[in-house]
Amino acid sequence: MDLNTSKLIIDLIQYFFIFFTVTAILSYLILAIISVFENGNYMKKNSFVNYKDILSSSISPSISIIAPAYNETLNIVENVRSLLSNHYVNYDVIIVNDGSKDDSLEKLIKAYDLVKVDYIINNQIPTKPLREGVFKSTNPAFEKLIVVDKQNGGKADALNTGLNISPNKYVACIDVDCLLLEDSLLKMIKPFLEATDSKVIASGGVIRIANSCTIRDGKLIDVNLPGNLLVRGQILEYLRAFLLGRMAWSRLNGLLVISGAFGMFDKKIAIEVGGYDTKTVGEDMEIIVRMRRHMEEQKIKYKVAYIPDPLCWTEAPDNYKTFISQRNRWTRGTIETLRKHKKIGFNPKYKSLGVISYPYWMIYERLAPIIEVAGIIYFIFLFVNKAIKWDYALAFLFVAYLFTILFSIITILTEELTSHQYKKKGVGFHLITTAFLEPIINHPVILYAAVKGNFDYYFNKEKKWGEMVRKGMNKAQK
Amino acid sequence: MVNIYFYIVEYFKYSPKIIQFLWALSAVFVLIIISLSIYLNHLRVRLRAKERIKAVYQKKYESDLIEYLYSGNEVDEISYEQQIIIDYLNKCAKSSLKRKIIISTLLKLKDEISGETSDAIQRLYCQTGLVHYASSKLKSKKWDVIAKGINELAQFEIKEAHNDVIEHIDHPKREVRKEIQMYSVKLFRFDGLEFLNILTTQLSEWDQIQLLEILQKFESQNMPDITKWLQSSNDSVVSFALKLAKIYNQYEAKEHIVALLNHSSQEIRIESITVLSNFGDIDTSVVLKNDFNQRSIEEQVAIFKMIEDLNDTSDIPFLLEHVNNSNFEIKVLATKILKELNNREDNNIRLITTDIEYSEKTGLIKAS
Repeated sequence: MDLNTSKLIIDLIQYFFIFFTVTAILSYLILAIISVFENGNYMKKNSFVNYKDILSSSISPSISIIAPAYNETLNIVENVRSLLSNHYVNYDVIIVNDGSKDDSLEKLIKAYDLVKVDYIINNQIPTKPLREGVFKSTNPAFEKLIVVDKQNGGKADALNTGLNISPNKYVACIDVDCLLLEDSLLKMIKPFLEATDSKVIASGGVIRIANSCTIRDGKLIDVNLPGNLLVRGQILEYLRAFLLGRMAWSRLNGLLVISGAFGMFDKKIAIEVGGYDTKTVGEDMEIIVRMRRHMEEQKIKYKVAYIPDPLCWTEAPDNYKTFISQRNRWTRGTIETLRKHKKIGFNPKYKSLGVISYPYWMIYERLAPIIEVAGIIYFIFLFVNKAIKWDYALAFLFVAYLFTILFSIITILTEELTSHQYKKKGVGFHLITTAFLEPIINHPVILYAAVKGNFDYYFNKEKKWGEMVRKGMNKAQK
Repeated sequence: MVNIYFYIVEYFKYSPKIIQFLWALSAVFVLIIISLSIYLNHLRVRLRAKERIKAVYQKKYESDLIEYLYSGNEVDEISYEQQIIIDYLNKCAKSSLKRKIIISTLLKLKDEISGETSDAIQRLYCQTGLVHYASSKLKSKKWDVIAKGINELAQFEIKEAHNDVIEHIDHPKREVRKEIQMYSVKLFRFDGLEFLNILTTQLSEWDQIQLLEILQKFESQNMPDITKWLQSSNDSVVSFALKLAKIYNQYEAKEHIVALLNHSSQEIRIESITVLSNFGDIDTSVVLKNDFNQRSIEEQVAIFKMIEDLNDTSDIPFLLEHVNNSNFEIKVLATKILKELNNREDNNIRLITTDIEYSEKTGLIKAS
């Protein structure tokens, strides 16, 4: 290879990285602008809505909350109590004990006066068989509760059992340890009931991080900012994703994922597409993509709605091991979903799903960590060959770093102007400090987890969910 | 220090354009970050202060309102003590924040009480001039301000604003039109539903529930004739009329509802079956059983739910026909109804209890 060819290749690589960075920044900016506009619009529309009437209305539609539980003995009783204390009138809670090896079931039986009942289940979606069976309470105070004990089949399988057993038109699939706010079901059902010109197939809301928050009797009492920088970084990350990302995707009707922590579905469509995929670790994203694909193929006008209000609080990993394991799983889930539905990609037949959402996820979510690592390798190569133009490198690096900080600060501002959850004095300063530190402390770990996720996907097929060791919001976070 | 400054200026001057651009962009970013951080701090301080003020004034206004309600006398329309409170609130209402606090306090109290006290709050709303602020919102160019104004007037049941409110009946924004509908029903009850006669846009399920909730709060009402709505070309109006028929047992409209069993919309056909089932209309059940196979699965399920409520031994042959229906829900319902009939009347359906599968099913149903 002569010198000119080598120079040309190096130049091309450089242009590729510049092009990728510029388009990524532009896409973030466009999404942020749309989100800010949409957040304002949502606030305008909902500032005078009287939720109270519908909340207590007996003619409001029935909803099933489906919560899979696996070895959740630590907090299962409190978590179920929290789920049972929602202010919505017409709902039931289906706890699917997914073959727990601990005493979760015994604790539930004792706490809620459960007795085994015979129950006809319409197995529309194949699932693992029942273990102990179906339980209901003899206490009228817990009449909304149904507990299903089944053989272990994973989260997706447990959710499918819930879909099979639910008698209602709408289902809210949540993580059992999530804390739902009192009006969360109502806010999530609203888009389904409001739609007149298209069918709403699913809705999602903002998930907030509950570490360090005070929770008593299943209710959020006090919102605090955790001291742990890893968790704080995740708070910023969640805010960016939920307030400045998903809102825009919802506006573009291109939302590809609704958080597995809390999402509501039209049960009929969810069953029609075959329920959750038990073979993927990214079942929350996969089912949305499949439902959307189904609607596009059926040529039915549809929408995936998004609520920018904080509706659900969850515990985030507070140590690097669990954090890496979680991000590794998210990466594998994304790869699996995009590969499974590659037919959609760049296919105009699937409209915005095919030509905007899928390509965006493929390039800026799926491939971004790989491109970033390639960039680092390229940088090392140049360094070794003493070919780095430091003035260029430093200028680019500095601009990228500042842009990240700026974007985070805009997110914090959006949060303050919309929900203003972190009210305490001094929190603003800590959030800004986190905005400066997060790209240095959290981002390299996220990148490592994503690369490891790619590696595990291709070379370690046995790897499944990984452990999420929970401290439990009720005990640990007071 | 001066040397460093000159070095930077020289470096910047002789750098390539792209480097110059990047550093200039960095400077802009730094400036924006500093400005936004200052603004964020200011905003947070302001929001905290606002919440403190809100808490203090809310407490103050609550006690003022209670004092107002209990300081009336039978001699004067407005007592001296009440006048002082009115003047004070009138003065406070000039501040937008305080006005919002007064209104929310009034509404909170209004929701908790009824009768004369509730009327007194409504009077106070007018006496303090708050009604004028709400009415002035109707002249705004912003749709959300208009909608908020109508919403407030509806909550305080200000009939005098009707003409101004109705001016926006064709407002391009759905939210404004919706608030007008709520206003009409809240103030004029069933008469307020007149808008259904001319409604061309769809009334969402959410809107329907809200309207029904408002209507259900009133007692002893004169229900208007719903037949014209049952015949509406707007499907959402028909659906709403069916809900009215069900809640208010509009048996007189039965013939029109029966006609809807052949409506082009499946949802309306199903809703009609449900309403007729609610009426206990056995005749329809017979008709539906006759053309059962011509109907969609969803309608068939609705028919079985109807039979679940209205059954007798004459249904047994029909039920036996569907014990092995390919649809799970129909199969379960058929078995369940047969089991109930079997328990109620010790008759010939014992015949099928020899079927092992049936025995298992009924055993299950018994406990479910």
